[in-house]
Amino acid sequence: MITDANITVEDLGTIKIVHITGQLDESNIDEKIQAIYKLVEANPKNLNLIYDLESLEYMNSKSIGYLTDLYGKITESGGKVAIAKAKPNIFDILQVVGLTQLIPCFDSTELAKNSFGPATPAAPVAAATTPATPAPAPAVPPTPATPAPSPEVPAPAPVAPSTPIPAPVAPVVPQPPAQQ
Amino acid sequence: MENNLPSTAPTRITITLPTNAYFMSGIRDFTLTMIKNTTNFPEKWAFRFQSVVDELCNNAIEYGSAPGSEIRITFVCVKDDYLEIDVEDTGTGKVKMTKEMIEKLYHDRKEPSYVFSGIRGRGLVKIIGEWSDEISFKDRPEGGLIVSVKKYLKNARQTDTLPVSNTQPQTILIN
Repeated sequence: MITDANITVEDLGTIKIVHITGQLDESNIDEKIQAIYKLVEANPKNLNLIYDLESLEYMNSKSIGYLTDLYGKITESGGKVAIAKAKPNIFDILQVVGLTQLIPCFDSTELAKNSFGPATPAAPVAAATTPATPAPAPAVPPTPATPAPSPEVPAPAPVAPSTPIPAPVAPVVPQPPAQQ
Repeated sequence: MENNLPSTAPTRITITLPTNAYFMSGIRDFTLTMIKNTTNFPEKWAFRFQSVVDELCNNAIEYGSAPGSEIRITFVCVKDDYLEIDVEDTGTGKVKMTKEMIEKLYHDRKEPSYVFSGIRGRGLVKIIGEWSDEISFKDRPEGGLIVSVKKYLKNARQTDTLPVSNTQPQTILIN
């Protein structure tokens, strides 16, 4: 039961609009995000990309990690990124993780397009909606653009036999704040 | 659906799941509906706790409980007071963490100088930590961890609407 999500790319010449619908979560993000990595690979220079999030219902922190990584790859090669039409709950989560400080957000794709400045003369204007071909999930997630060390997890330990969680028998005693 | 329980009586719901992310869509739906219908938290916080629960469970599934094992989610709500969510793993997963280890990891990542550079790692501090009033970690006697978060209604009501995106870009900060 993989959560429903879809990523399609609309090619406007120098600007690509990535339409993301459904819910991006742990069950599907590694596969779905490959459509955008393929787009970036196919447009290695000066890619102007808009994420249309109008029909995106949910995204988790890993999805945001991928968007941050893609932002690094695109801007390092002279491109620009914008977000358009995010629902309030999506904008809320983008904001709390700080992505709105990196990527400007707009209420419409037109405003997002305008933020990129005038189009280059060579840009074709015909819009064509092309479904992106999902690629198999990579064995290893794409390397982050910023090569800083990530203390995400310590060294893996052997997997021990499963220990069932016993049924709860006592009411929860509220814990004192540990870190905040 | 109206919650007619006395406001001081805790409502307690426990869900045990196999270690599999495929169930999380249903858990998110349940969280959203439960908070909207049985608490007086503003809608914004129903969406926020949907993310908090998802991130807690994803961590437990990814690191704390092995495939074939399980995780447990417990919701405790005292109407007009607080919502608490506990997520337990069995400690059989690929990363052996003690209370002290995860407290240090959490503390380190809360430092302003910490740079989140990988695909993963934002959930615990940036979402769970930011959207909770209290967070605590406990070792389970049988092995594994319990991560507990708590949100008080009085704090949640200080702002009760979701943000809206800007028509103008915000300040762009690049390291």
